[in-house]
Amino acid sequence: MTIKVLSGDHAVAYAVKLCRADVIPAYPITPQTLIIEKISDFVNDGEMDATFMPADSEHSAMSMAIGAEATGVRTFTATASQGLALMHEMLYVAPQTRLPIVMANVNRSLGAGSGIWAEYNDSMPERESGWMQAYVEDSQEALDTIIQAYRICEDPRVMLPMMVCLDAFVLSHTVEKVLVPEQAEVDSFLPRFRPLNVLDPADPKFINIAVSPAHSMEMRYQLDHQMRQAAPMINLIDEEFGKHFGRRYGGMIERYRMSDAEHALITLGSATSTARVAVDQLRAQGRKVGLIKLRYMRPFPHQEIQEAVKGVKALGVFDRSIALNGFGPVFTEVRNSVYRQGMPVTNHIAGIGGRDLTIPTFVQMFDKIEQSANALERECYWHGLRGEM
Amino acid sequence: MAAQTIAEAAIYEGLEAQAFPFFGAERRGAPVMAFCRIDDKKISVRTQVYQPDMLVVMDESLLDIEPVADGLKPNGSAVVNTKLSPDKVDLGIRVKCVSVDATTVALEMLKAPIVNTAILGAMAKANDIVTLESIKKAIASRFGEHLGEEAGRINAAAAQAAYDRAVLGESAAQRPIVKKRAWTPTWQDIPPGVALGQADMNGLKVGPGSAFQVRTGTWRTRTPRYLREKCVRCAKCWFICPDAAISRESDDHIQIDYDHCKGCGVCASICPAKAIEMAKGAKL
Ligand code: SF4
Ligand code: SF4
Repeated sequence: MTIKVLSGDHAVAYAVKLCRADVIPAYPITPQTLIIEKISDFVNDGEMDATFMPADSEHSAMSMAIGAEATGVRTFTATASQGLALMHEMLYVAPQTRLPIVMANVNRSLGAGSGIWAEYNDSMPERESGWMQAYVEDSQEALDTIIQAYRICEDPRVMLPMMVCLDAFVLSHTVEKVLVPEQAEVDSFLPRFRPLNVLDPADPKFINIAVSPAHSMEMRYQLDHQMRQAAPMINLIDEEFGKHFGRRYGGMIERYRMSDAEHALITLGSATSTARVAVDQLRAQGRKVGLIKLRYMRPFPHQEIQEAVKGVKALGVFDRSIALNGFGPVFTEVRNSVYRQGMPVTNHIAGIGGRDLTIPTFVQMFDKIEQSANALERECYWHGLRGEM
Repeated sequence: MAAQTIAEAAIYEGLEAQAFPFFGAERRGAPVMAFCRIDDKKISVRTQVYQPDMLVVMDESLLDIEPVADGLKPNGSAVVNTKLSPDKVDLGIRVKCVSVDATTVALEMLKAPIVNTAILGAMAKANDIVTLESIKKAIASRFGEHLGEEAGRINAAAAQAAYDRAVLGESAAQRPIVKKRAWTPTWQDIPPGVALGQADMNGLKVGPGSAFQVRTGTWRTRTPRYLREKCVRCAKCWFICPDAAISRESDDHIQIDYDHCKGCGVCASICPAKAIEMAKGAKL
């Protein structure tokens, strides 16, 4: 193990190298560019035995990743925002054809009102695509989650692609201390890739065939089943990761000061860090607050959340994007999970377009959550908004 | 790069650190901000820094353009790249101040006015949290990785030279710290259609779509000089200027808006009559 000082983007690049990805097709886009620049350096300097393929667009990059993965090699690509949107069409091919590609998506708000800062309106719409989705909190988790992702995706019981999402700038360009494991450690955790189907002239196969109504329903159900299967595997592999590397993340969710919490907030991504500080401050004042960090949007940790909120009097859900005239996507999922449990659930929209998330922002969320335990004033709050809601 | 390097140096000291830039419409030479947090325990907070303990100003011309010391703690410190002695550095607040002519150090040792490694040496003089040794090690690592071992070595030497030449004192507090007036409309007041033009706020043109407050002219290192008598009034410079800093008079002679001209020089290179020449420096 070596201690390095890495940005989230570079942590991802180191992880991809350690995972011995064979083919990396990619197209640059801020704030993801540091990832593929670093990987192309590794390849160019002979530190990484891989083929780096500059693509002419993200649509092509995803198409190339699909083609490469179908020949049985380990593939990686990375994108952000408009780049992910341009991939949209091709994204759907990978899950159904059971190609366990790993991709990093640096969450950046999708224009118009173009910005380069963090928002989840790029990746959240893709949770229907059949890709698993992880959201990470810091550079270390970015590195570790990429390593876990290859294990999870390539497990014969899963065989699905995953996008590992990290926040623009707050993670992608922030340097911090990262423990980089040795190659041998990763090799013993991550076996060589054994594909399900391989494009092989000696054994010809079609993949991604046209499917009639007579078969597509069963195919889709199979995929849905597969996604549900993935959650226990994620928990298991995180545990195994812990045994190997001495740190783990709780699998699908992490509970922070939840054991006797009466008012809880669910967060994801880098927001969790600052929310932890808010929880510590409120705990010091004797308030019974706790935090649940959501690590995956797909598969969704329905059971884990139901377990974690037993005994909670009021629950709040942080969202960094919104389905217009609806709620934040995390809220919608969480409320579906816990609706039988009956506690009030409120939605807390903040950090849109990269607006700075401060400790008082989270304190304010907890105030509203506590208040909702007595009287549900409204279901959805925007924090840090100028003008009356 | 400087913020990242100081973070790396702190980690060598066994501390925890975090460094990040604030990105806007950046380009080389444009004013940018970067932040660094150092602590003896794991850093969880990920907000921007609003009240720094230490302020580092890489370019003293910023003192006249931005309220750089806004938020600086009264018991904090400052490191400023300047030829002036600390007591002549007017931050608008009296704090412990280290002044260093990092530009001269960089020109001497790196043969380029890139001051971020030299300034790091001066930072070691302003605090006792991160030592010069760790800073030099971090420079060798960070710059060495990007630019090769030799670059790492000479940049570390630049830090040492800046440390040796830096002067410790106290800053002056003559000028008032005037916060910039920002346009902060409510959601009801945002013009619809993501078509933000210039909003008029008490006679001030502001807003994301307005170039009024963004004086890109301060980025200039070369300045176009217009030689009116040579001009054939072809309007090529007017068409090509990327900042719309050239306007046409009624007879198609031109005028240059020096508040916004960035000094890129494309007007001079396209002019068929050599009626624009680029002079060295930010002013004519
Ligand atoms: S130097 Fe560049 S910015 Fe300035 S007037 Fe000429 S073209 Fe425009
Ligand atoms: S390009 Fe030269 S000649 Fe043409 S209008 Fe501009 S200054 Fe005059």
